[in-house]
Amino acid sequence: MVQSTLLNRRKFMQLLALAAAAYPLSGLAGSRQQALASDSVSKEEPWLTISAVQEHLFPAEKNSPGASDINALIYLQNMMVTPDFDNEKGELIHNGVAWLNDLAKQQHSKTFIQLDSTTKEKTLRRVENSNAGSRWLSTLLTYLIEALLSDPVYQGNPNGIGWNWLQHQPGFPLPTENKKYFKIGKNRYRHTKA
Amino acid sequence: MSKDYDVCIIGSGAGGGPVALELAKAGKSVLILEKGPWLTEKDFYKDELACCRHSVYTPQLADEKHVIEEQYRDGSWQGESTEESGWDFWNGNVVGGSSNFMSGFFYRLKPKDFRLLSEFGSIKGANIADWPISYDELEPYYTKAETEIGISGQVEQHQHQEPRSTKAFPYPPTTEHPIVKHIDKACDQLGFTSLKTPRAILSKPDMGRQSCEYSGYCGSYGCSTGAKGSSRAALLDRAIKTGNCKIVANAKVVKIESDNKGNVASVKYFGENNIEKSVSAKVVVVACQAIETSRLLLASTGPKHPNGLGNNHNQLGKNLLFSAGGSGTGEFTYSKLDKLTADQLKTRGPFVNRNLQDWYFINDKKMGGTAKGGTIDFLLRHPNPISKAMRLKRGDDDKLVWGKELKRKIKSAFASTQGLRFEVFNDWLPTDNCFVSLDNKVKDKWGSAVAKIRIGYHEHDLKVGEYLSQKAIKVLQQMNADNIRYNVSGSPPANLVAGGCRFGNDIRTSVLDKDCKVHDVDNLYITDGSFMPTGGSVPYTWTIYANSFRVADIIKKRV
Repeated sequence: MVQSTLLNRRKFMQLLALAAAAYPLSGLAGSRQQALASDSVSKEEPWLTISAVQEHLFPAEKNSPGASDINALIYLQNMMVTPDFDNEKGELIHNGVAWLNDLAKQQHSKTFIQLDSTTKEKTLRRVENSNAGSRWLSTLLTYLIEALLSDPVYQGNPNGIGWNWLQHQPGFPLPTENKKYFKIGKNRYRHTKA
Repeated sequence: MSKDYDVCIIGSGAGGGPVALELAKAGKSVLILEKGPWLTEKDFYKDELACCRHSVYTPQLADEKHVIEEQYRDGSWQGESTEESGWDFWNGNVVGGSSNFMSGFFYRLKPKDFRLLSEFGSIKGANIADWPISYDELEPYYTKAETEIGISGQVEQHQHQEPRSTKAFPYPPTTEHPIVKHIDKACDQLGFTSLKTPRAILSKPDMGRQSCEYSGYCGSYGCSTGAKGSSRAALLDRAIKTGNCKIVANAKVVKIESDNKGNVASVKYFGENNIEKSVSAKVVVVACQAIETSRLLLASTGPKHPNGLGNNHNQLGKNLLFSAGGSGTGEFTYSKLDKLTADQLKTRGPFVNRNLQDWYFINDKKMGGTAKGGTIDFLLRHPNPISKAMRLKRGDDDKLVWGKELKRKIKSAFASTQGLRFEVFNDWLPTDNCFVSLDNKVKDKWGSAVAKIRIGYHEHDLKVGEYLSQKAIKVLQQMNADNIRYNVSGSPPANLVAGGCRFGNDIRTSVLDKDCKVHDVDNLYITDGSFMPTGGSVPYTWTIYANSFRVADIIKKRV
């Protein structure tokens, strides 16, 4: 437990450093901590933009859940502080937000969240045209799909809302809080040199 | 000179377990060194993130990797680290090894598999060899594995049924999915003989293990009931109970030291907190799965073994085998079926347990007369939801799909069809282009050279894979499946691997003698799938278990 907490803490600090570099004025550090502590969706960047992108990529409809219904943002935030999370991926996720908002400002003098749905779509398709932009969107889609279909213990798919929508029958037994994947055989995550 | 243990076994999977149990039962002191952690039933949940999306049961590729050498269009072979490519070649580095995560489709080889060269002749570019033992010598151990591992099934007579010394399996077949009656009917109409696939899964509680609970999630998952016949659940737990067997988990062996006579003196490993340790035993057994076994021996140079332990004739790591063949799927659309049939097909839990061996040996002009064929196995499409949805992330134009379109695609894939899958197993012919060596430029976290794997295949493998796939497709067509797709390729399945230390009677063409002892080392045995000169046309695990029981009897007589 101690080791895993430490690793979480280390990863978390690295993420903060990365995010702070991308958003020097956003006051992100405080809000990030708050988001994790309270599990509430942060109203600060970059999460505001990411949340809007997630909702666009996976919109709520009358009879089917959307990004916020499946806790997509909280799921992503949780995954970004797991011990095996790849720092480069964290960097990509943050950088993508900057590219997207730069593009939106350049073309429409607005931030992404201020755009209407059609313009959002056009802007995201433009982002997709670059390799890095495509990787960024693909990464966000991956975490959306995981939030839809992974076990609720990871805080996406609340009460199995994604499984129910798709009539998916999960297996058993299902993981418990103490048996999340990164708590099993955790010496795997010693990235120490021998 | 006194030794710390009678037997030291490196690796605790299907190759290590039988030796551990047999020797411990005989009162010998046994030490098992296992690189991975010791997980039990209490650690295994149906969690797709744990089984299949993160390296929980296998190393992080940043810490430990392989280098895969593929042939490029210009004919050159070029290697790429799996850390770069993400093509993971690990299969379960935990106590019990990858047998924890197998599906447990269990097949014996057939007598002719032991003499493939004599029966079918040579094929240009392939290093086919007869085995130095016959089916009859292994048969008692196949039988022994049935009771020791707990294999369920039903013996059915057919033209290629291998001889058995007992009439029936010790456990009846596991419960069957309603789709099997449709498979059986289609096969019947086609004149094919559908057979019940034996499984290394208990269909009733026994030996302190529970029966299968039919959660519908088996392959790739650790078993939480103990029904799956992993080396850990079936053998090691019992070996520990004798009081004679000790397992050290998280123990990474880096070198086997040999003396001036060329025999094993000690085993060097890194234990907890990466402290270097050394241990000695009268007999050392290596069973790290084929690739890592060859790698360890190649790294274990000594005064009489300058090119690696047992490599004085440059055979070590050569003739690596995977399993050739292909796979395909067909879909059954619920809206086209009556409600009862649709509801039955939606069932999750019971097994399909059907296979075809009509063409295990082929007699067909299209294949040039008589030829070695293989096995077709049927199973439901894997139930993992995330991996299923991930495949829908890109359209046919490779552009990302999102928004309502993505949601429609996911909904349709999940709620409107059941998928029946087939897998073809045929011989991966041994060639000079498929072998293990050391990559001295790429190191693991202990600073050891990683295994470099050249993964060339023989064109003949694709021909047989195609022939068998066409038969499987006939079954899917007869069942009125939609959207039938299949793929035959020379891309190796990393979880079906053998060879690299073939056994034989001639030290110039083999690494091991017929007892699976390294020819020119008095006290070193290899009991994983490395010994196989040819692999047969079935998954390897039952044969690995059986051979390890056979070698256990040999070792028992000398310590």
